[in-house]
Amino acid sequence: MPQVEIPKDSWSGSVTTVTLGATAADGGTRSHTITVGGHKALPFMHFEQKMAHRPLIALEIKDHRPDDWSPLLLDLWGDAANDPASWAKAAESAGADALVLWLSQNGTDGKPTTPQAAVASTKAVLQASGLPLLVFAPGQAELDNALLVPISEATTGERLVLGICEDKNYRTIAATAMANGHLISTRTPMDVNLAKQLNILVRDMGIPPDRILMDPTTGGLGYGIEYGYSVMERLRLAALQGDGNTQSPMIVTPGAEAWKTKEAKVGHDVPATWGEWLERAINWETLTAMALVESGADIIVLRHPESMRRLRAAIDELMSVPA
Amino acid sequence: MPLSGLQIYKLLPKTNCKDCGLPTCLAFAMKLAAKQMELAACPHVGAEAKAQLADASEPPVRLITLKPSAKIAGGRELKSGNETVLFRHEKTFINKPGMFLRVHDNEPIASIQARVAAVEAYSVRYVGMDLTLDGFAVQAEAPLDATRFASVVSAVRAASKRPMILIAPDAAVMSAGLKAIEGDNALIHGATAANYEAMAALAKQYHSALVACADTLDGLADLTNKIKAKGVDDLVLDPTSRQLGASLTRQTQIRRLALKKDFRPLGYPIIAFPGDAAPDQEALQAAQAIAKYAGFIVLERFAPEMVYPLLVLRENIYTDPQKPIQVLPGLYEINNPKPTDPVLVTTNFSITYFSVANEVEGAGLPAWLLIVDAEGMSVLTGWAAGKFDAERIAKAVKDSGVANKVTRHRLVVPGHVAVLSGELEEALSNWEIRVGPREAVDLPAFMKQVL
Amino acid sequence: MADHSVHFDVTPDATALSETHPPTVRVPTGTLVTEAARLAGIDLGQPCGGQGRCGRCAVQVTGGDVRRRSTLRLKQEDVAAGYALACQSVVESDVTITIPLQEKIERRLTTERTAIEVSVPTGYSAAAQTMRRVAVQLQPADMQDQTDDWSRLQSALRRQTGIPSLSVSLPLLRRLGGILREQDWAVTAVIETDTWDHPADAARLVDLVSGHVPDHAPLWGVAIDIGTTTVSLWLVDLITGAVRAQVAEYNGQISRGEDVISRIIYSSKKNSASPLPSGEGGLIELRDLVLKTINSLLATACKRVLADPASVVKATIAGNSTMMHLLLGIPCESIRLAPFVTAVNHLPVLPATVVGLHIHPEGSVDCLPGVASYVGADISSGVLSSGLDDAEPMMLFMDVGTNGEIVLGNREFLATCACSAGPAFEGAGVQNGMRATEGAIEEVWINNDTHEPTFRVIGGGKARGVCGSGLIALLAELFLTGVIDRSGHFNMNLSSVRVRRGEHGPEYVIVWAADSQTGYDIVITHVDVDNLMRAKAAIYAGFTVLADKVGMPLEMAEQVLIGGSFGKYINVEKAVEIGLLPDRSWDSFKFLGNTSVRGAYLALLDRAARARIRDIAGRMTYIELTADNSFYEAFTSALFLPHTDLSRFPTVQAALAQNPKNLSKEE
Repeated sequence: MPQVEIPKDSWSGSVTTVTLGATAADGGTRSHTITVGGHKALPFMHFEQKMAHRPLIALEIKDHRPDDWSPLLLDLWGDAANDPASWAKAAESAGADALVLWLSQNGTDGKPTTPQAAVASTKAVLQASGLPLLVFAPGQAELDNALLVPISEATTGERLVLGICEDKNYRTIAATAMANGHLISTRTPMDVNLAKQLNILVRDMGIPPDRILMDPTTGGLGYGIEYGYSVMERLRLAALQGDGNTQSPMIVTPGAEAWKTKEAKVGHDVPATWGEWLERAINWETLTAMALVESGADIIVLRHPESMRRLRAAIDELMSVPA
Repeated sequence: MPLSGLQIYKLLPKTNCKDCGLPTCLAFAMKLAAKQMELAACPHVGAEAKAQLADASEPPVRLITLKPSAKIAGGRELKSGNETVLFRHEKTFINKPGMFLRVHDNEPIASIQARVAAVEAYSVRYVGMDLTLDGFAVQAEAPLDATRFASVVSAVRAASKRPMILIAPDAAVMSAGLKAIEGDNALIHGATAANYEAMAALAKQYHSALVACADTLDGLADLTNKIKAKGVDDLVLDPTSRQLGASLTRQTQIRRLALKKDFRPLGYPIIAFPGDAAPDQEALQAAQAIAKYAGFIVLERFAPEMVYPLLVLRENIYTDPQKPIQVLPGLYEINNPKPTDPVLVTTNFSITYFSVANEVEGAGLPAWLLIVDAEGMSVLTGWAAGKFDAERIAKAVKDSGVANKVTRHRLVVPGHVAVLSGELEEALSNWEIRVGPREAVDLPAFMKQVL
Repeated sequence: MADHSVHFDVTPDATALSETHPPTVRVPTGTLVTEAARLAGIDLGQPCGGQGRCGRCAVQVTGGDVRRRSTLRLKQEDVAAGYALACQSVVESDVTITIPLQEKIERRLTTERTAIEVSVPTGYSAAAQTMRRVAVQLQPADMQDQTDDWSRLQSALRRQTGIPSLSVSLPLLRRLGGILREQDWAVTAVIETDTWDHPADAARLVDLVSGHVPDHAPLWGVAIDIGTTTVSLWLVDLITGAVRAQVAEYNGQISRGEDVISRIIYSSKKNSASPLPSGEGGLIELRDLVLKTINSLLATACKRVLADPASVVKATIAGNSTMMHLLLGIPCESIRLAPFVTAVNHLPVLPATVVGLHIHPEGSVDCLPGVASYVGADISSGVLSSGLDDAEPMMLFMDVGTNGEIVLGNREFLATCACSAGPAFEGAGVQNGMRATEGAIEEVWINNDTHEPTFRVIGGGKARGVCGSGLIALLAELFLTGVIDRSGHFNMNLSSVRVRRGEHGPEYVIVWAADSQTGYDIVITHVDVDNLMRAKAAIYAGFTVLADKVGMPLEMAEQVLIGGSFGKYINVEKAVEIGLLPDRSWDSFKFLGNTSVRGAYLALLDRAARARIRDIAGRMTYIELTADNSFYEAFTSALFLPHTDLSRFPTVQAALAQNPKNLSKEE
């Protein structure tokens, strides 16, 4: 029988290894740390290089009960969603690898979230759960600066991930992360060049590569995921080819992306051809996530524990290739 | 390896005679490189150049076409293969993997007929397209029974106008099935090292494509060579792995060998069986198959809540990334706008739409976003080409009925087309025309400070 | 601390040497040569503010030696020959220092490219072009010979020139008899011997004057380039081939739109002031505006050499397709609408009066041919003047104007594309931009630490504004010194008073009102920076995509030939630093100045050159950049300083690495 010579790519570059969270030994309070990145080949190409660190799944929680979330999610989390500490506990026991505390734009009183409230929510989550924590501000440059700087200062040494660092506010967020021993998550809108550019800008600030995660923004299934998918493939290829400004591990938010689509969010007055609501919503979230896992995601932020369970099973399979 | 425009140009007469209809030989060469024209359009090209160019144009992954017998009116055809890239951004994925629902010949006929009818009737609308599954696979179950197999195949054929895959390990059973749909160009699953001669004979007899099954690449390559020697060219590969990690590895290796090494024994589409996975993993396995190189996907379960997202994923992954993508023109609501919130106008080029929508949504500002049909062009290109002018904007305002949804008639046009504001004021006399910023990134500040 | 003597040898009239100071000074160890020079009363130019970046203070150590902290910009052989940068060199022993002539230094700096001077093509003969001047003495008419005046003139000319027959216009016939008799049948005729579009037609009498014009007297022609932003005109003596005057002015149409698209749209507008019923008011208005610009340039140029515009017998005109259509009043809507076709690419030779040029009423106007809607005669003639069409190695030619047009190829093939850059590099569309004329800042350096600028003004007086090459240098300096980040955003945390929030947002003040010619601050705003970034990104993206589509790596182009209206000078280093030009050996760039008008000049002088332009226009393959996403992608990638893909700009990266803190200044 002829022997087929299997072509192996050899790459000059690799993805940076990034550790989230700090235990007491390293000046933090986390019960353990998690590490992502370190790849020297495309995702799950173990026959070339055993994948250094598996993709991890974080669950998203909010600082207060989010009125705009799908009832499917709110019913599922129930009373736990009423305050961030109980939600953090529930998410930890659901099996999350890490938590994302995504701050709301407004407090329950309808006024913009105050720095004091944001710091309090963050501290409550840190006390309730030992998981590594990512804190995302609402995504408006000025408000984000106002919330993230005090959070960063109040949690020095925890090795939190501070987001969202965009081209409009990178100076402030990168500076406070460096000063207080945190990481940053950069975000750019579905474009390889913009992702690289922001990476260059924050690196120009002097923040070390092992403190940067990048969120290339992906779009959800049916709503532009093909852009995000290809942007991630291109970024990962560039990273392996040695482009130092694309080598950050990638964090993606398919939970938020999927659950804002009508397909996942809404159960009434939709076409019968869409099928049963809950299962459709979970498929929407897991398929969005799965596509992103295939294209190189390192941290996947989800909203539904069942989606997490299914995706984790898939990642288990992808990580263990029988000889 | 595909040749570049310049490489092809060197093989052409270089006379700029225009007989091909293009102004120069280089222009023609570039069309050839982009596979937008045929070499035959040049009456002057020499024999040697022809041979070289033909070689370069043979697809690395063979095109396989399945279709029901010509006797079936309105029969649907399926093409798979012809792929030229590993990553969709390099050019585009070309033929969407066919998605088939599998039935088993030991199920009650009535239940099979019901499922086939349901799939046949199933069509889901997604951004103006009607998405459906592509066909049916019939699998012979133990104990094998040729007659039963043939009758189920006939029953499916009677209820469907779509292509079929027949799955049976035994040539006699397969033969009965194929006979039942004589005239179909079906897909036979499958040939192994043990039975390939008989299966190849059937494939030839029934003008059907044949799946080669082997659990190593060496075995697969050996098998396709042997089958090809029997005169069967239309082959499909089943690397038999049903585990996600192993499938990904095998399918990636096969595609790489075909594309990068021009390795013909593995230059065929791949068939995947997500239906063999645990029920709650079927969707995920199918998702991987869509993204990572399957040409045929066989599903076990038909549930709209799973099929709809899979069809959408397939549509997304197989969208040509080189073509400017359009979003549907019309009125979009961002952050639950109220009747007093502003109406923003831009074009239906998807990147334009996404940048505007993302900025405004990210800033948490409520607004009505009116997307004008500019034939998928960006603001400046559309304006330059006359596709985004006062007339089209005014029409979009009227067609959308936005006037009835807002109480303050404020229309914000992109800064790049500030020049249109005069004409717009005439065309939309009861609207206040505001000139917004030139770039989407400045919209939030503009909306907060100026509006 | 030890003292050392520093003796300065000053090349005669090299620099302002004060007579009151001795050329020898004593200074302590560790003194900079610039400081020693200052004490000696010698003013060494330090445009970059003594940062060792510009290389202008190079001196030659001819006795002893100095310690060179940095030799950036000095070649090894320079250092071996004793050269040192005065601002980076420390006196540690007795030395003799020779100060070279400033021009000599500037010649050594290979980064600065001055446009090639215009010279008459070698071996020029007036017979190569189509206008022939003939002095002839006719036999007076008498009773024996009652031949009519016109036949008499034709016979005489035939005998003298061999031209078998001539055509003539009615206005000239009306004046014929008078002219013949004015100086006893001695006359001088100007004959158009042939035209490219009707080579077989009879020659034509263009002008007839009484008496004999001396052979060496000039016969005038003009070469014109109509740019979207700038119109240039060269007044040429067809007898010697010499260019006798060069003038340029902004196109009067600018007030009706900055780019060709706006002009096209304007041209199809009805004009309330115009009595025309159809949508031609705008077209006529634009035509009148550009004619006004050309005729005024013509008058200016002629005045300079005391010639009468009406004595100019031929005009050869290049320009982009839209400009050509507008000049001739040909509707051009189809240029901007799919499928993007022009009304005409090859125009016939036209009478001056019909076109509306105020040259000789019988003069000829030859409009050069274009390739496509967005690649016009300016590029065909630019390719001719660059010699690209006849080159053996692969070359890249770019014409940087309001539209950036790029041509890649050699004698085998020519591929071209166009991208809209906007008028920024011509100094228009920028708050304090101006053309490269007296009062324009053409070079800028900004101090790394103080962020104070030093600059050079054309003509040496007070500044009025900044021209294209100045804007390029300014953008580069703002970036390198950390005033703006790589995205072009101003760093508002800097303590410099020059960085401030102005009426249009963040801006940098180059010249304070008190020191400017205008009495206002001269600034560059963030909007200007955006415009420049877009312009440079469009051009860089243009040639990367073009190379890609043709299927040839950019590096294969042996030379980069640059045309455009920046002025006579471009600093290649600065253009590379902002990512306008590819990062490659500075020797591979050649700056050709305005290649379009130069091509028109060559076509005016030579039938063969005119034929070659026609051939070029037919050979060029036009590539539409907007057919897919690749241009957009390349553009976004280039919309960064110098470029998102830093590996494309290794020397810029190296320069930045010397001052890493600039990129993240937080003062």
